[in-house]
Amino acid sequence: MAIKRLFIANRGEIALRIVRAAQALNIETVVAVSDPDRDGAAARLADRAIVIGPASAAKSYLDPRLIVHAAKESGCDGLHPGYGFLSERAILPRLCADHGIAFVGPEPDVIDALGDKLRARAMASAAGVPLVPGSDCVATAADARREGDRIGYPVLLKASAGGGGRGMVIANNADEAEAGFHRASAEAIAAFGDGTLFMERFVPEARHVEVQLMGDGKGKVLHFGERDCSVQRRYQKLVEEAPCAAMPDPLREQLHASAVALAASVHYRNAGTCEFLFDVKRQEFYFIEVNARIQVEHPVSEMIAGFDLVQEQIRIAGGAPLSVAQDEVKLSGHAIECRINAEDVGRDFLPSPGRITRWQPPEGEGIRLDSHMAEGAMIPPFYDSMVGKLIVHGKDRADAIAKLSAALDGFVVEGVPTTIELHRAIVAHPDFVENRIHTRWLEQVLLPERAKRVA
Amino acid sequence: MNEPYFSATLQSLMEEFSRSGVRELHLRSGDFEIYLSNDPAARGPAVSRLAPVARPLAPTAAAPSVSAPAALPEDAIIIRAPNLGTFYRAPKPGADNYVELGSTISVGDEVCLIEVMKLFTAVRVEEAGTVHAILAPDGAMVEAGQPLFALVRN
Repeated sequence: MAIKRLFIANRGEIALRIVRAAQALNIETVVAVSDPDRDGAAARLADRAIVIGPASAAKSYLDPRLIVHAAKESGCDGLHPGYGFLSERAILPRLCADHGIAFVGPEPDVIDALGDKLRARAMASAAGVPLVPGSDCVATAADARREGDRIGYPVLLKASAGGGGRGMVIANNADEAEAGFHRASAEAIAAFGDGTLFMERFVPEARHVEVQLMGDGKGKVLHFGERDCSVQRRYQKLVEEAPCAAMPDPLREQLHASAVALAASVHYRNAGTCEFLFDVKRQEFYFIEVNARIQVEHPVSEMIAGFDLVQEQIRIAGGAPLSVAQDEVKLSGHAIECRINAEDVGRDFLPSPGRITRWQPPEGEGIRLDSHMAEGAMIPPFYDSMVGKLIVHGKDRADAIAKLSAALDGFVVEGVPTTIELHRAIVAHPDFVENRIHTRWLEQVLLPERAKRVA
Repeated sequence: MNEPYFSATLQSLMEEFSRSGVRELHLRSGDFEIYLSNDPAARGPAVSRLAPVARPLAPTAAAPSVSAPAALPEDAIIIRAPNLGTFYRAPKPGADNYVELGSTISVGDEVCLIEVMKLFTAVRVEEAGTVHAILAPDGAMVEAGQPLFALVRN
């Protein structure tokens, strides 16, 4: 049954985004807020806001019982978890089901299965999705040499019992594999009391690509193209674009088919993203994981597809079939998103919450801003420091970069330091313009260059 | 007005009112009655003076089960909901309420239960006093920080 009143169990820009999507579908909205968020943009736009707890996320946005209690008592028949917080915790859809509330997301069992790395890998493998080439247990230095030759260098030797980088060695050839075995194994024994290792291909300059999926829960899954999210710092994405311009079409088709096959094999329902490592040199891609939620960077896919993914999420949760067929999904042009945070880049990206004293966002054709900010708005210190997402759409990558560059130049925010200036530097860098980036480019190239200039 | 839009409607009424510049508003419709004032010194007829100055998203309604005899003294102790949940004035259905208007309570006494998903938490008072007003209806959902009782010091 179509959802009539939607509960939004999130905050910030995504809560506002979901309220707007629901309102476009003529659905009433109730938004959960913590005490400091009671005057936020989502709370003001929604039909109702309910204070569920104090600032501490553990006592508000992260408490599934409070959330579902508030949803039930406010008469909601649907619940959207957004991203982060409880969005990938199976307890939330389970509690929703107990109380007759439609959860805007996958089945709880699917969330659990995909959240377990080993099970997810097994499911990917069963669906024919390529995994990073690797070995079973490696017991001797001779095994390490043989496996290294088979996998192809460079390889990563990792402790089976491991974690946190201990017992991890990179080997660039057979001799290093043999020597590396002794070192990694000794480290693993010292750290975990178990010297068992395994090996995996190491991709030094990888791209992060991911496929946007939408499933009906009955085995039918659509894709909305891929995104390239290779500009990262400490595994946090800063810039995302669609499509991945560095990927040739035949490989792109295989990528989409792999992601769809995996999601279809579990009868995936609602929005999800299948993430891959793209080895540009070898022209191969490997499965990383599936994110069972709408993602921060979904707007770039919406821009090239001309399709509202959040509205589709809400319709599907209400029992509607997919509203388009795969051959009706037409991807055109190029979109780029910059995640803008209130952070002090010069002080190691120190989160810098506070009040926005001046807010002058760029406007124009092909420019979209997903933000809950305005002049006088407060970024409270209790949550992430996101100010907003600036998204542009151009006819091709060069056009998108030109638009983005102009938009960033015209974006004025005062009151808190932001990453806008860093985004200007990224977008202007020849490596970005010529698309020669990889997941460690920001940390290995751009940030050191800037540090040198300051020094 | 049907729940749960009752409180949202009430809230917008309060917001409109505070913007309007009108000094006082006294509205009665059936068994519903509300008194709003922009004058902090006002003495409302049957509604707690807290109503017009309540925090924006936690309106305290003058529903029939809410008892607020008169304006509160300046030093009234407000007991607020520690978290969102359903407000119960009695330990179990059919039992006597923990407290009534005029009850004298000591530090550590239980005054109500807040229920979330069948988990009941007793709310205890941290200061002694006499129950001067009961600010939320029995069995209603209350939000985190919403005023439940007003006590006056003995």
